[in-house]
Amino acid sequence: MSESAMAESGVAGRLRVLRRRLVQVVGAAVLGQWSLYGVLRCPFVVPYVSCQNCPVITCHGRLVSMYWGFWLLLPLSAVVAGRAFCGWACPGGLAVQLLGKFAPFGRKWGSALIRVAGAGKYLALVVGLFVFYAMGQPRADVPIRIGGFFESVALTFEHANLLWLVRSAVVLGFLALGLLAAGAWCRFACPTGGVLEAVKGLSFLKVFKTSACNGCGKCTRVCEMVTRPEEVNCTNCGDCLDSCPVGAIGFGRKPREK
Amino acid sequence: MEKKATSPGRRQFLKTAALSACGALCAASPVQAQTSGEILRVWSCGGLAEAMMPANVAFEAAHGVKVAYTGAFAAALGKSLLGSATADVFAGRVLDLAKKLRQSGKMASFMPLCFTRYVLVTPKGNPAGIQNVMDMARPGVRVVLAPEASPPGGAAALKILEKAGILEAAQKNAVTMGSCVQRTMDDILSGRGDVSIVEYRVTKLPAFTGRMEVVNIDEGLFPPPPMTFTVGVMTSAVNKPLAEAYVRYLTSPEGQAAFEQHGFVPAFSEKGRQLVEKYGVKDV
Repeated sequence: MSESAMAESGVAGRLRVLRRRLVQVVGAAVLGQWSLYGVLRCPFVVPYVSCQNCPVITCHGRLVSMYWGFWLLLPLSAVVAGRAFCGWACPGGLAVQLLGKFAPFGRKWGSALIRVAGAGKYLALVVGLFVFYAMGQPRADVPIRIGGFFESVALTFEHANLLWLVRSAVVLGFLALGLLAAGAWCRFACPTGGVLEAVKGLSFLKVFKTSACNGCGKCTRVCEMVTRPEEVNCTNCGDCLDSCPVGAIGFGRKPREK
Repeated sequence: MEKKATSPGRRQFLKTAALSACGALCAASPVQAQTSGEILRVWSCGGLAEAMMPANVAFEAAHGVKVAYTGAFAAALGKSLLGSATADVFAGRVLDLAKKLRQSGKMASFMPLCFTRYVLVTPKGNPAGIQNVMDMARPGVRVVLAPEASPPGGAAALKILEKAGILEAAQKNAVTMGSCVQRTMDDILSGRGDVSIVEYRVTKLPAFTGRMEVVNIDEGLFPPPPMTFTVGVMTSAVNKPLAEAYVRYLTSPEGQAAFEQHGFVPAFSEKGRQLVEKYGVKDV
């Protein structure tokens, strides 16, 4: 690639990230309150799924349009563009990616430890399903029906039982871990990411790589999930679209290659 | 390297999302608060929340202050208040809790606020022809109970059945033994069950109002307390006269109307006065 072409692709790449950030901010504006309530104030062990029966009346998850809109659009987004929700709209994803900017570790792609840790999101999914179906989705905290956010969070923690404290410690712990190991929550622990990861192979559109890929790893270096197109944890964010020196990365329907 | 063309659809999607965000942010301009900046911290039992919210708005408008309101399980809030937490006003469900707060010096004074009452709920049209509690023991009637629900919901219903002498028969008829009163209501609305016992206030929640039949229960079968809600000024109140004004507002005809509208028996009504005497709701 010539120097001018490289400079051009650098600018295009930055613009691409900027556009995605903008969409993520919109995602955070729409889903952020519900997202925070789920982690810090939801009295159920598995958040975001029992909202229509929840007594916390200020949570946006109680809005019928928000709740059903999300749970109908999420599978649709998975069919259209795989794990794109994680990279484009999830407020938690935005937070994790921004925290990851400071992370000194976790960017060594393909290491055995990273591969094993990647199974954590499936484990989290299994635990979530067990708690929901086998344990009957217990309410493990006193719901603070209404109140100032921080005051209510303090009361929620004060009156939580052990199960609630454990699940919240895991979530917050992985978020904090993201300051050390880039994207820790999304890559290793998010159960929603686990579901989307499992079905993303069926999506119509994706960021793909062709057989021209020479494995140089430049795409991995720009990727906030520290992966390559189509591989584990690729969220179709598209940040890598201008990074490939041999033009092996594209977006859309993957062309058939002989 | 060939420059890849971005599809118009994707570009259009991004532009639309950006414009939508700008629109949403512009539309969500903050409302100018017409307050003096003073904040009154009010805590109450979560069951009162629907009635407290409009009352708070009216009080804010009348006094130019902001009411910072927290509503949650009264026993939990009471535990916090008996510890290190502070509030200006506390409206709790259990009379003994109010007395305990007074005796510990955390609450300066309290008054009766309102009372709860229990009713039978059935699906629209009352298909099983439920007339009274005794019908819950009738063979074939599908009873919905929630014995594990947070107090007093589940336990109160069982106590009513016990006082009626039909606890065992009603439990045999139970098609649901749940852990949540709101799910109980869903079972009734959907017709999975024929009858359940809930607080009348639950039938007044926006999600349920007008969507079921309500049959009164003989008061003699009501469970022992907690039937009473009280409201009191805390000794930690930053502005005691303001906190007292708030309590006066809640116990005024206007304030009491909000509680009646949301399914409570106002303490300052003819019925309420009888209940004050019956349950001995007196400051200590």
